[in-house]
Amino acid sequence: MANQRQGLNVPDIDFETTWGVLEKAFLEIHTKNASALSFEELYRNAYKIVLKKKGEELYNKVAEFEARWLSSEVRMKIVATITPPLQLLTEGSGGRALSSTAERRTAGENFLRTLKESWEDHGVCMGMLTDVLMYMVSTQAQQHAANDGTDLEKDRVYCTDHRQPSIFAKAMGLFRDQILGSLDRPNGTQLAESLTKVILDQIQMDRDGEKIDQHLIKANVYMLEGLYHSDQEVEEEKLYLQLFEPHFLSTSAAFYREEGERLLKESDAGTYCKEAKRRIDEESDRCRSTISESTTPKIQKVVEDELIRHKMKGLIEMDSGVQYMIDNDKFHELGLVFELESRVDARKPELTKAIVSIVQDMGAAINKAAETTSVAPPAPAGQDDAGEDKPKAGSTRQINQQTAAALKWVEDVLALKERFDVFWKTSFNSDQTISTALTRSISEVINAFNRSSEYISLFIDENMKKGIRDKSEAEIDATLEQAIVTLRYLQDKDIFETYYKKHLCKRLLLKKSQSIDVEKQMISRMKIELGNSFTLKLEAMFKDMTLSEELTGGYRSHIARLGQADTKRVDLSINVLTSMTWPLEAFRGAGEDERESRNNLLFPGSIERIKTGFERFYAERYSGRKLTWQTNMGDADMKATFPRSRNGKPMTHDINCSTYGMLILLLFNDLPTTQSLTLEEIQAKTNIPLNDLKRNLQSLAVAPKTRFLVKEPMSREINPGDRFRYNEDFSSKIIKIKVGVVSAGNKVEGEKERKETEKKNNDSRGFAIEAAVVRIMKQRKELSHAQLLTETLTVLSGQFRPDVNMIKKRIESLIEREYLERLEEAAVPSYRYLA
Amino acid sequence: MASETEYVTLVSSDDYSFVVLRSSAIKSPAIKRMLDPAYGFAESKTNTCHFENINGLVLEKVCEYFYYYQKHKDSKDVADMDFPIELSLELVMAADYLDSTVPFEENSKRRQDMLI
Repeated sequence: MANQRQGLNVPDIDFETTWGVLEKAFLEIHTKNASALSFEELYRNAYKIVLKKKGEELYNKVAEFEARWLSSEVRMKIVATITPPLQLLTEGSGGRALSSTAERRTAGENFLRTLKESWEDHGVCMGMLTDVLMYMVSTQAQQHAANDGTDLEKDRVYCTDHRQPSIFAKAMGLFRDQILGSLDRPNGTQLAESLTKVILDQIQMDRDGEKIDQHLIKANVYMLEGLYHSDQEVEEEKLYLQLFEPHFLSTSAAFYREEGERLLKESDAGTYCKEAKRRIDEESDRCRSTISESTTPKIQKVVEDELIRHKMKGLIEMDSGVQYMIDNDKFHELGLVFELESRVDARKPELTKAIVSIVQDMGAAINKAAETTSVAPPAPAGQDDAGEDKPKAGSTRQINQQTAAALKWVEDVLALKERFDVFWKTSFNSDQTISTALTRSISEVINAFNRSSEYISLFIDENMKKGIRDKSEAEIDATLEQAIVTLRYLQDKDIFETYYKKHLCKRLLLKKSQSIDVEKQMISRMKIELGNSFTLKLEAMFKDMTLSEELTGGYRSHIARLGQADTKRVDLSINVLTSMTWPLEAFRGAGEDERESRNNLLFPGSIERIKTGFERFYAERYSGRKLTWQTNMGDADMKATFPRSRNGKPMTHDINCSTYGMLILLLFNDLPTTQSLTLEEIQAKTNIPLNDLKRNLQSLAVAPKTRFLVKEPMSREINPGDRFRYNEDFSSKIIKIKVGVVSAGNKVEGEKERKETEKKNNDSRGFAIEAAVVRIMKQRKELSHAQLLTETLTVLSGQFRPDVNMIKKRIESLIEREYLERLEEAAVPSYRYLA
Repeated sequence: MASETEYVTLVSSDDYSFVVLRSSAIKSPAIKRMLDPAYGFAESKTNTCHFENINGLVLEKVCEYFYYYQKHKDSKDVADMDFPIELSLELVMAADYLDSTVPFEENSKRRQDMLI
């Protein structure tokens, strides 16, 4: 073999001489004089040395040479750039304050540039060196391969320690040790540390808005990324990760902590959001342009932590925080807050919390306002009892006021919801979490108000009677939808049902409803929203109405057939109502005794005839049914002539009034115009309950537009002994006159009425609970108390939220009545169903 | 002078010159390095490489191989290039001298990285 190599022109060489040639050439390379050198010659020399098995020595010589070069020439050049401003900076804390920014920037840039150039030169030279020494390097690699298994050309081995780093890596390591690892001056700091500080200082300048040379920093960062803590070049041990990044992150954290606090103090929330967003973008830009992309997620987290996560609460609670934004419709700023928080937490706890509390506050304000308006003129019922002299009209206004309060409440709640829906859409990106929170808090607002059920029903009532009069179909639709929306949030749907039935009943019977079609639409909407069972009774009411119409028609033709037709005949139209379905107590007066007297009304002959005639007709049609006359709910159309009504000429008016009103007016039919009747006489002749009588007389004798009777003495209140006579001087331009009965309109319930409704409601809830419990137990046979409670609550949640105590009482009562029994042997309290 | 020419000259130890396409000659990493203008060695200035340890006979074969390789590198089932058996040892040594692919690739890549 050796002989053959001789043949390839490899003369015996002297290592020292050859190395001498190489060393001289390397020096030329480092001083950028490579053009004088022949690559082939150097390559051949290295080749020779390796062939002479002097590879290891060559390797060591090269390393030695490089170390010497770096530690003397290169280091001196770099250390020279560490001028006083930088020394101050690297020495300690006060550095930044002691020299001007401009000085530091120039000095820093100088330092960075020199370092960068040195590094790049080093890279180029080492590239050239390794290329020249390629043969050595390649054998080294083959040696690695050989140690891995295959026995390759063993005679080339120059180095037995196969863990020796490649010459290139070695050179990098030398740079690290000789340059970065060295001290800037005796007892000074390591250059690497200075480098970190200078870079951080430059970044700080950048953050403060000064222009810096990003490429310069990037190049240095690149260097740190290319160097490793040890020659093994472990990825995690990059100098960048070890020396620079931790410092960068910690200074950034400190900076942003301070900046966040300053911003919270000095600016408003909107600016803060913009600033925070700008900073976050800026940092990620900085990572891209100045530092390293690998740091992006880390610095993002730092900024987010400092500017958002730790500050969110403060931000939201600022004077110009979320509350202010919502008050002033700052959609954009709210959007920013939302964006910021969703950046750090998908659930956005702080913002959601803030929104919920704002909605609840606003809701509470609405509830409070409604309460104050409705109570403002203190307790109407009590006043009435206290003194009759209090003008009735005042009380009417009061009632209207309460109704208005109810309407206002519903509208306010809707407006509140509407408002936050807009925020939700425009600012919160229709976010699911916030939507849930909004729904929950609005529902809380509605249910926190104890009269919500009544008020919502009143709202619908008002719209059915007046609101929809001049509205297009689409508008009506929207109104209905609004009502349904509030209904959706309502928990105590059973109470709502009670009120709705009452209001619907009045609308239907008194023909106050604007459109039966719309009523039916509403019912079908409720059906969709709340289920079949909810609307069952409401629909039954409509059915009764239809049936009654048929019945009236039937009776009319029946009369016609009987041939009783005479001119004096009174026409009758009748509503037969199923007593269970209709909340007739809505019309009942306050006193119980009045009900007794109702059936004993004294009708004049013509009316009485009709009444008995219909009773007979009905009994023929439906045997076994009992008719009860609800005279207090009826109304009558009459024709009346007043001698001086139209400019002193006689005129006939169509008068529509209540049945009671009709009875009263009929009394005066047979009376001479000058004769008068006392209150007591009227009562004796008609047997109308006193309260109803007073109210009707008020409308007939006091209300200016329908003053058919003259009252003596003339006062607002009806008192015992007052006298009434026919009003000859009545005048009106209107032909059709409708006599309103005082307080016939729908209104908020009084204290007493409400108590009654509540009581009734509690009773019906009791039944509902019992029914649910029995159904559940029938199915399960045995169940623990806790489970039974849960299931009952689930079953009933569609109708109302039952009180746990009430359920307990109902269970007790069921046990007493032997539907259930307690299980004695069970570990937890349990029940068994008794068939 | 420093520009990259299409052809380069390879000179053997016994002063035979071979003018070959640069694209084929840089098949050898050693030659590629020598001629790389980025480093500015003497060879890259003159576009000429002198090989003190390869004679004309061998260098001719090497050049022939460069062309043979360039011509067939993308085709399949190419017959091995023919060469005189007596030159085999010297050719193997020349090949070893000129070809040190593995570390070359690696170093080249790292240098690229380093210089951004």
